[in-house]
Amino acid sequence: MTIEDSRRGDAWHVDEDDLRAYARGELAAPALWSADAHLTACATCRGTLAAVSDTAALDAGWERLDAELDAPRPGRFERLLVRCGVGDGTARLLAATPVLRRSWFGALAAVLLVTFLVAVAAGAADRPTLFLACAPLLPLVSVALAYGPALDPTHEMAVVSPMHGFRLLMIRAVAVLVVALGVGGLASLALPGFGPAALAWLLPGLALATTGLALAPRLGPVTAPSVLVVAWALVLLAADAARGGGEGTLAPFTAAGQGVSGLVAALGAGLLFLFRDRFDVFARGPA
Amino acid sequence: MTPTVSASGLSLHYGRTRALDDVSLRLTPGVTGLLGPNGAGKTTLLRVLATAVPADRGAFTVLGHDPGTSRGRQEVRRRLGYLPQTPGFHPDFTAFEFVDYVAILKELADRRERHREVRRVLEEVDLGDVRGRRIKKLSGGMRQRVALAAALVGDPGFLVLDEPTVGLDPEQRMRFRELIAEAGEGRTVLLSTHQTEDVAMLCHRVIVMAAGAVRFDGTPAELTARAAGRVWSSTEKDPGAKAGWRTGTGSFRNVGDPPPGAEPAAPTLEDGYLLVLDDAGTEVAA
Repeated sequence: MTIEDSRRGDAWHVDEDDLRAYARGELAAPALWSADAHLTACATCRGTLAAVSDTAALDAGWERLDAELDAPRPGRFERLLVRCGVGDGTARLLAATPVLRRSWFGALAAVLLVTFLVAVAAGAADRPTLFLACAPLLPLVSVALAYGPALDPTHEMAVVSPMHGFRLLMIRAVAVLVVALGVGGLASLALPGFGPAALAWLLPGLALATTGLALAPRLGPVTAPSVLVVAWALVLLAADAARGGGEGTLAPFTAAGQGVSGLVAALGAGLLFLFRDRFDVFARGPA
Repeated sequence: MTPTVSASGLSLHYGRTRALDDVSLRLTPGVTGLLGPNGAGKTTLLRVLATAVPADRGAFTVLGHDPGTSRGRQEVRRRLGYLPQTPGFHPDFTAFEFVDYVAILKELADRRERHREVRRVLEEVDLGDVRGRRIKKLSGGMRQRVALAAALVGDPGFLVLDEPTVGLDPEQRMRFRELIAEAGEGRTVLLSTHQTEDVAMLCHRVIVMAAGAVRFDGTPAELTARAAGRVWSSTEKDPGAKAGWRTGTGSFRNVGDPPPGAEPAAPTLEDGYLLVLDDAGTEVAA
């Protein structure tokens, strides 16, 4: 339900139907938040609320309002997530996790930097090789920055919470990947003259991100992505050597290479699911 | 009485280090103190019982649920409150926001119910008036109470507290002890601590660990009784004592096997604890 403010006299007020729903405790967020905020400041609407409510329901409403005054005020991003259909708790989990913001801003900064470098390099060569080589690292690094005991001060409490560690990981990883892939994709399309070929980093990026996560419980949240960064560099050097210094497309960005990346991404996702319980306990080590 | 926690043969190694050595115990409602020196395995045991780390061998149940399976682990966690040794905070959160965040992790999905629960636990630890204050602005004692409030979300039947009074000044420590005592009414609390005063004031039962193994399991009175006839006073430190220290009156208090004619002193819980550690081969010289 959306909040419908109606004009009475020269002031805005909450619609009576919404006030009735509010009194019954049936008004849903975000209309509920708007009503809460408005009722604290508007005697007219409080009077209307009293008229349309029975006493018990009204008391419950005031109790709820009292609680809401102390409750975290959802920020713009959290409200946006709720409006996009994300559950209230999940939205809070995402919006309230500072480490994710670091990851998101890191992703944005990386995209801007790489795009700038490519724009500069484009003066010397008309191929998006540098962009394609760097961009797959974006989702890998973004996910790595969003996960791990060293980056989350509440990790020990989170591990022993009933929410499965794998579910928490997936919520964070998907949120980070959506941003990283989204801004990276937009940057790809914005590159001058490369066209859809500039999107050839997406599958290698997914392959690196899923494999990095799958290896994290065994190698650690820092070593696993580091190993993959080195491995990716070696793959690119080998592909460059294989084309003999020519101007052809590097193997990972050809159709065959994309197929291999897709397979690796699927394999990484499968391993991740297989090892999901390993994200549900603390990393082994002396206390 | 049916135990809340029943563990048998818990063992865990970190490489060549034996962190837990065949630990068996049964915990019943009330506060049980877990005493031991650094490296005794207290935190490791707490992490195992809190399902944060799986043991290499052995098994345990919490309120009838076996955390050896994924489903059982989730069931245990729904009934668990855990205050780690160094609870981490997002410092920009308010007290309310932090506890709300933990409540989401504890699967309290309904926003209204969750906020009611957050208010309840913050009131329970006397932080109702500062729930809107950012955590970085709170004192150390208040932060510990925020962490305790987070552990109490969902009214857990089994509460695990890892050295919660460390770093608190005496007044804060007393307040925190009151809260632990209240938390122990009707639920099972396992309290790890270095401080024998915590055990003496709070616990109906005490477990002493050393080198990963349980060295004593009984009531505080039984631990104190271990030192009966083995504590004496002297004007000089007795070289034959296992431990000895100067008291506020200027005389020395000695623990061990008293020499003939020694002036006996009333034993305390700390004396019993030192003797248990000595029996376990742990350095106790004071």
